[in-house]
Amino acid sequence: MHRVTSYVLRRLVGAVPLLLGISVISFAILKAVPGGPLAAYEANPNITPEDIVRLERAFGLDQPFHVQYLTWFGRLLGGDWGHSYASSQPVLAMIGERLPNTLTLMGTVYVVTLLIAIPIGVATATRQYSRFDHLVTGGTFLAYSMPPFWLGLLLIILFGLQLRWLPLGGMTVPGATSFDLVDRLRHLVLPVTTLALFGTAHYVRYLRASMLETIGQDYLRTARAKGLGERIVILRHALRNASIPLVTVAALDLPELFVGALVTEQIFGWPGMGRLFWDAATRADYPVLMGILVVSATLVVLANLAADVLYAYLDPRIRFA
Amino acid sequence: MAMFIFCACAPTATHTAPGGAAIANSGPVRGGTLVFSLWQEPAGLLPNFASQTVAGIVASLVVEGLTGTNSDGSYYPVLATQVPTLANGGVRLLAGGGMDVSYELIPNVRWSDGSAFTSADVKFTWETYLKDPKVITKDGYSAIEQIDTPTPTSVVLHYKQIYGPYLTRFTGLLPKSLEKEADLSRSEYNRKPIGTGPFRITEFVAGDHITAERNPTYRVPDRPYLDRIIFRSVPSREAAIAQLKAGEVDGMWNLLEAQVPEIAPDPKLRVIATAGATVERIELNLAKPADPADPAVRHPVLGDRAVRRALNLATPKQQIIDKLLFGKAQIGTSPVSQGWASPKGLAQEPYDPNLANKVLDEAGWVKGADGVRAKGGVRAALTIMTTSGDKVREQTEQVLIDEWKRVGIELSIRNLPSDVLLSGTFANDPRKRGNFDLVMYASTPGIDPQTTMLRYTTAGIPTTANGGAGQNFTRFANAEADAAIAGASATVDQPKRAELYARALKLLNDEIAIIWLYDRQTIDAFRATVRGPTGSVWLGITFNAQDWWIGR
Amino acid sequence: MAFDRFRQHRVAVASVWVLAFLAVTAAAAPLLSPYDPERTNLLLIFEAPSWSHPMGTDSLGRDLATRILFGGRVSLALGILVVSLALTIGVSVGAVAGYYGRAADAVLMRIVDMMYSFPRLFLLILFAVLFGGKLITVVVVLGILSWMTTARLVRATFLSVKHREYVEAARALGARDREIVIRHILPNSVAPIIVAGTLGVAGAILAESTLSFLGLGVQPPTPTWGNMLKDAQSDMSVAPWTAVFPGFAIFLAIVSINFIGDGLRDALDPRHPTKRSVDHG
Repeated sequence: MHRVTSYVLRRLVGAVPLLLGISVISFAILKAVPGGPLAAYEANPNITPEDIVRLERAFGLDQPFHVQYLTWFGRLLGGDWGHSYASSQPVLAMIGERLPNTLTLMGTVYVVTLLIAIPIGVATATRQYSRFDHLVTGGTFLAYSMPPFWLGLLLIILFGLQLRWLPLGGMTVPGATSFDLVDRLRHLVLPVTTLALFGTAHYVRYLRASMLETIGQDYLRTARAKGLGERIVILRHALRNASIPLVTVAALDLPELFVGALVTEQIFGWPGMGRLFWDAATRADYPVLMGILVVSATLVVLANLAADVLYAYLDPRIRFA
Repeated sequence: MAMFIFCACAPTATHTAPGGAAIANSGPVRGGTLVFSLWQEPAGLLPNFASQTVAGIVASLVVEGLTGTNSDGSYYPVLATQVPTLANGGVRLLAGGGMDVSYELIPNVRWSDGSAFTSADVKFTWETYLKDPKVITKDGYSAIEQIDTPTPTSVVLHYKQIYGPYLTRFTGLLPKSLEKEADLSRSEYNRKPIGTGPFRITEFVAGDHITAERNPTYRVPDRPYLDRIIFRSVPSREAAIAQLKAGEVDGMWNLLEAQVPEIAPDPKLRVIATAGATVERIELNLAKPADPADPAVRHPVLGDRAVRRALNLATPKQQIIDKLLFGKAQIGTSPVSQGWASPKGLAQEPYDPNLANKVLDEAGWVKGADGVRAKGGVRAALTIMTTSGDKVREQTEQVLIDEWKRVGIELSIRNLPSDVLLSGTFANDPRKRGNFDLVMYASTPGIDPQTTMLRYTTAGIPTTANGGAGQNFTRFANAEADAAIAGASATVDQPKRAELYARALKLLNDEIAIIWLYDRQTIDAFRATVRGPTGSVWLGITFNAQDWWIGR
Repeated sequence: MAFDRFRQHRVAVASVWVLAFLAVTAAAAPLLSPYDPERTNLLLIFEAPSWSHPMGTDSLGRDLATRILFGGRVSLALGILVVSLALTIGVSVGAVAGYYGRAADAVLMRIVDMMYSFPRLFLLILFAVLFGGKLITVVVVLGILSWMTTARLVRATFLSVKHREYVEAARALGARDREIVIRHILPNSVAPIIVAGTLGVAGAILAESTLSFLGLGVQPPTPTWGNMLKDAQSDMSVAPWTAVFPGFAIFLAIVSINFIGDGLRDALDPRHPTKRSVDHG
């Protein structure tokens, strides 16, 4: 375990320049975007040009790029993520308000995805070339190719507008005062379906492939020869080994899912990070945008690291070098 | 697009609200919760700290000011007992060029935290607006030298100079109890302001909803009718409409004209369309486009008044209104479409493509083999810009390409995102640079038109020399108009000001520097059971929320 | 041989026909449709699908079928352009990193890591806001954000091949770096590049339509499948067909490209575990 710790530490140290680079580039891009956070004021007949100049100074927008970046970075090191230009709220608190909602969405998507993908993946692999296998593999391709926003629209048209079975968006019924699980689940159905379809297809394909590879291997033949039931062989031996790459894929998918939530949250009005980013992007709210980029880039780095560590942990053939 | 300071003011009971009274047989029902959806989210609710229309929709339930504005542009008192004018002695012009404005406050008014509302709060509001670097405008507040509070219910504002739009200030007051806050915009009051209005904010869940509960200290007896209004955050107008139709919400803010036909036929729903001050226009660059443009060099095509006249004649405004806006707009006539300064009888020539062709023929613009006119080697090919993603504007462009082709003028499109096109910075904004042929956008004048009128003065032409200041994007320059606009700002005599503005606007329209497309309406929708909302030209739909109730 | 293997993948073969159909109809759009994709007709707004407008009309009375054909030109061309750009960058970076190793490798792979760590869509949105919605800028932005997988693939091949005997032999015979790379090493990575490139086209089409859907892609009036869907968002309750058909076009293109990619993988890389994953008709 000692070696693992030092490996993790080394990887974390290695990630520092990476994150620094990302923050500089993001900051530069944001600054290059024309308009800026005060653009909205320009059309306001009550705001004078002097007001604009004064506000620019108040927000430090009149400073040269490197000064603005260093100021931002210096405060970040001190734990101050800055305040939104638009709402004056602390960025960390704003992210804190939204992150749990996005995590709820993503967590449900993961659970649903795995609950569906694992049995199907196992079933197809054990019945290779059967009609069921063909059906599933064909189905995964279709699901894989479905643009998520289109799927979202179709689901809204069908279940929201036509059948009126499910709410069209939001996270709770308006006016709800306490947490209501049924209500929350009803609101989760459509966005989770939109996001989970792709993931399910992805995992079924992975699981099927790695199961097929494992099933053919010697030790399973040995297990069978020892007289173990096929069910036990498959579940205890094949699935366990086949799930190693799945764990990696799941960890690597984390940031993808995080980003995928942007479009889904936008369609379904889910009050998560994606919508926060979108609102901030349209308002050129730099501190919020930078905060989200830092959080998500860190998430990517950690997910990559987790994937590597998990992989090595589950597969003893790999050594931490 | 048009984001303006929200005027956070709700009228007192003295301001009649026809919606509430108009219902016969059954009287207003007390109690209940109304869910109102907003497709934008207020960033903060403190008055004069945000430039978001939607913030005013929520804040006006809570925050009140000294005065409010009626739809006709006249003022009514809110927390003051009367509107101070020269006539009633509330305004006194001083010998040194300054003026004093005295307000008498309504007694026994309480803030939602229970403390008393006094003249000290007015003074505190002024002090905050002066010293806080984050307020969006100090205009008008910095013109005040000193505020005296002789009694708790009287306040005297000493202006350094004559300041015409004095009644447009102090429309959102702050309680003195906030003086302990080091940074008001970052305090919790930005989300839960303390006000004197009919409601108070009890919950602000970003991205999801804002709850306003009835304010127990509200001064008007038996108001508000509703117990609670919940503002639900939705990602788009489309989502809001769907939820309204599905009965998930009781009302929604700000529809597009094109969405009205989706709602109007439904007997369970009601559309409230109110004339608005926003004027959609196409501004024509009189100067030759360059980066930046030199106003002295005429535009090779648009520099010819005959071309400008023909373009206006070939613009089917009524058809655009009927087909793209579903009739929910008026043909535009000037930038000041509402209020006391709105001029009468300034209509532009109506749609007549045949006349347009004739005008161009006579002016020597000859159709070439490709159907596009030319004169002296210059092809009549123009580019129009507008904000990308705005459906009605993009649709209008399509119509114009078609229509103008028929009179031999080639139009192409180069749209930019609104944060570039309307950025307002000399570095980026093509309107400021003068680097465009035609630009379609909307602008909303304030209740006092002076700032809007400065857009049509020679001094308002953005150039490198003046650092890009000013918003005279068409580069219209006329000494007589300059004089009229300057004269209007130097007096507090309202009829005189209106007349001078009208003179300047007539000169502007004679030049046909701008094609006034249409005056937009603000459109909100409710379930038919919701009674009381009436709409207002200058204030948001919620201005009379204390009179709303839900019928059966 | 590879071609024979591909032909056995019946779905992939069928997908080639579907894609070819999409491409040919898009290319021949002006011949196939009597309508102008940008010609508005305010009297024919939201016509339901009929014989004269098989997919109905949109909010400006434009023929939806025509716009889908013309939109296909943009979407398909964009997919190919993006992949060409991504492959060019990816192959160059991967080759340099893999062949020269050491500092070049370290630096380039750090950049690859960094590009991977950027949340792609976030960056895409920022770039799109920054550079505006012209076709060329969308292509460049998408290309710049999608070369990393190719770079890694190519680098991996180079690392495994560059010390093989025939490469050493060529070097001993005085071949230049350039020649070694192009004649001897690169051909080894052609198979995975082709597969990655094919799937990349699908990814690019999806990314463009996502951007357009958010209002940041290719700007109207130029139709793309993505910006048609964006319009449909506001029209779908009145005219659901405006949402159904463009989305189906995207879906059809992506699904056939994915099947072709799968077929190519089976054909070019027989050892791949997903071999013969789909072989029914």
